[in-house]
Amino acid sequence: MKEIDKLPVRNRKGREFIEKVGSGGLALTSIIGLVFLLILVYQIAKPTIIDGEEGEIVAATEFLPISDYILKWDNPSVDEDGNLISEPIILQLAWDDENGSYEHEIEITVIPQRNVKENIQLNENGVDTNEVTVGKKTKFYIYSTLSTPVSVHQISGPTPAANETGYPQVNTFVIQSDVSTVFSNGISIEEAIAVMSWSFLMVMILVYVFPNEKIIQSISSTSKNHQIIRWLSLAPFLFFILNEITVIRFFIVLNCFIGLRMLANLSEGIFRLSNQMMPLNDKILLKHSIVNRDGLMLWARLFFLVSTFFIPLSVHIPFLTERYQDIFQPYSSGIRSAFYGTFWVMGIAMFMAIPISIGAAIYLEEYAKPTRLTKLIQALITNLAGVPSIVFGLFGLAIFVREGGFGLGFGPSIFAAGLTMGVMAMPIIVLAAQEALRSVPRSIRESAYGIGCTRWQVTKDHVLPSAMPGMMTGTILAMSRIVGEAAPLLVVGAFGAVLFDPEPFAALTDGNINFTVIPIQIYAWTAEPGHEWHAMAAAASIALIAVMISMNSIAIILREYYRRRLNS
Amino acid sequence: MTEENTENDIPPSTRKLDIDGEAEIHIDGLDLWYGTKQALYDVSLPIAKNCVTSLIGPSGCGKSTLLRTINRMNDLIPICRYEGEIVQGETEITAKDADLVSIRKNIGMVFQRPNPFPKSIYDNVAYGVKLHHKPSREQLDSIVEKSLKRAAIWSEVSDRLHDLGTSLSGGQQQRLCIARSIAIEPDVILMDEPCSALDPIATAAIEELILELKKDFTVVIVTHSMSQAARVSDYTGFMYLGRMVEFNKTEKIFSDPDQELTKRYITGRFG
Repeated sequence: MKEIDKLPVRNRKGREFIEKVGSGGLALTSIIGLVFLLILVYQIAKPTIIDGEEGEIVAATEFLPISDYILKWDNPSVDEDGNLISEPIILQLAWDDENGSYEHEIEITVIPQRNVKENIQLNENGVDTNEVTVGKKTKFYIYSTLSTPVSVHQISGPTPAANETGYPQVNTFVIQSDVSTVFSNGISIEEAIAVMSWSFLMVMILVYVFPNEKIIQSISSTSKNHQIIRWLSLAPFLFFILNEITVIRFFIVLNCFIGLRMLANLSEGIFRLSNQMMPLNDKILLKHSIVNRDGLMLWARLFFLVSTFFIPLSVHIPFLTERYQDIFQPYSSGIRSAFYGTFWVMGIAMFMAIPISIGAAIYLEEYAKPTRLTKLIQALITNLAGVPSIVFGLFGLAIFVREGGFGLGFGPSIFAAGLTMGVMAMPIIVLAAQEALRSVPRSIRESAYGIGCTRWQVTKDHVLPSAMPGMMTGTILAMSRIVGEAAPLLVVGAFGAVLFDPEPFAALTDGNINFTVIPIQIYAWTAEPGHEWHAMAAAASIALIAVMISMNSIAIILREYYRRRLNS
Repeated sequence: MTEENTENDIPPSTRKLDIDGEAEIHIDGLDLWYGTKQALYDVSLPIAKNCVTSLIGPSGCGKSTLLRTINRMNDLIPICRYEGEIVQGETEITAKDADLVSIRKNIGMVFQRPNPFPKSIYDNVAYGVKLHHKPSREQLDSIVEKSLKRAAIWSEVSDRLHDLGTSLSGGQQQRLCIARSIAIEPDVILMDEPCSALDPIATAAIEELILELKKDFTVVIVTHSMSQAARVSDYTGFMYLGRMVEFNKTEKIFSDPDQELTKRYITGRFG
């Protein structure tokens, strides 16, 4: 009787059950993934079934919703030759300012051609034109640079044909004139973007050019130097003793400060490493993961992130906190609904993609025998990672948006978009996770099997922790790839202008399913007339980069953390 | 032509397998293939209880393969298949429905390169115990201490049990791996060139440890060093190209081998 046999024995039944459930679950996830992939391959081979009818592919929604600020002739009453049946439309505009009241009549002629567009300018001198020609099925805009509201007294003209829902196709509209080119604190959005670009440039210079080997070596030779630099980093703020503080100056000085701090951290890190002072403690691993070159990049990114988010905040708060208002109010609009949309789409995508992909990767690497079927699946996955994103968009349209056939009928909603993006991320995550699992040394598996682990225990206790850094990195890189994708969502049906916060599960609860994401918002804003919108698009693109960079930074932190925990 | 001649010159696996006392494991007529390449030819071997059996032979002769078949580690290689029988007591190890977990619990293994888990020293030893039993905290502490003492590493690590196992030196790591194996008290410990990655001092420590372990465990060791085999083992098997050319008591093999091939190998006049 051995001494160890006197100990109570662990129940093997539970373990075997977990083994079965584990491998079964993993196989199931692979099968789910495989089903998606096969349907996708089928879709690529036979795209015409998307709308139920052969040969016709219909996008999920029109790009801009009908709203109360656009005069839109979807269906004016015209005869067979395209001539208007009744008179032109008469638009009466009225406004007051300190010089008195004004009234203007504009005659709008609708002609059958498309793409004819004339816009109306309102300014201090009145209206620039009294006659406008507009093509059928086009939009036209009325701009106002007046400081007072303009109202529409009357619209008269041909009776609009009603659409199926009973609403007239010509909408009444209100023109407001809160358009101002200067913010209350005196800084325009162009200036804000200039600050962002400046900080980006400065950070790049600080990160890539400044810390060259020789400087760092000479600084880190003694323990005092990095402390001196740390104090010295406060020096740029002395600039403000002589000069007035402006936003641009403040951020440039802040950049210098952070650059010097990074240099101090780097030299301290090298000093500690070369003198064997690096402590072996989990709690300060995170802190010390920022003292090598990767960590330096992380600092730069975090800083960039902070400046990107806080500059618009300090310059122009509505950019982050407000929703899209309307076409005439660029400066009181913001990326709020787009940001929520991106957040929810990513959330749903990852919630779906990560478990399935990681499960499939584990099954393929650890469990599946190398049969012809697994080789085929492997080839499918590898090829899918390179499929253009628009194809995934069509797949999402057929499977998640539309009903009938394979369609699940979620409509052009966040839920459908999230699932589409999840499918798009799956092959990337599977490949990255497989690579991470493959790089786990054989000796770890052998040593675990050698003391009597089951396959699931080996995977769970030994392989997964070692593969974790690689999997994390791969997953987050996949996320940052899909966060910037616009093409599939255009097909799935994201809107350009959403006036409300999106509801993530509206597709399941019959709510309002419309949504937008940051890339689509950028696209829609660049398509608007008016340089203010273009500036907004530029600002939104920087916000998008900030989201991506923050994701990459998280990936670096996690990777460094896990790597150090395993290797130190 | 010459190659064919050497093939024909190889004596078949020996059936002269006498040991004093009881055998812990019987290997009987084992053939093994990697894909289409045969690696073991009709190998039979008794493994004497509470003795050290060493397997020697040139690289690629199948010693490690034979060793890894004893606790079914070769099952991890998908293209590997085998015929023949390995029996431990009443358990047929090579049976199709054999319980791999209890086989590997009863037959521990120490690998060529030290491979502690990337966990603390304490967890390295405790993990295997917790895998199979439900010990209390105190029981676990005492098992860990006892195992580390038996592996002759306790005095070096007793004050830093919660450091990572991978932070130890190579020789210490290997003794930690031995402690991990003996913590679950197997009947047999298989050692696959345990000293090949270690310096002479660490090697001496491990050899001393093997002689100590012999009292409680049956040890099978694969080694490239003939002097090591002569020092530590009671029985020695000489393998060549997948055949068990000769098996006998170690003194007999190293002083007066039956086969000309064995003689040439141990005197270093090989080839």
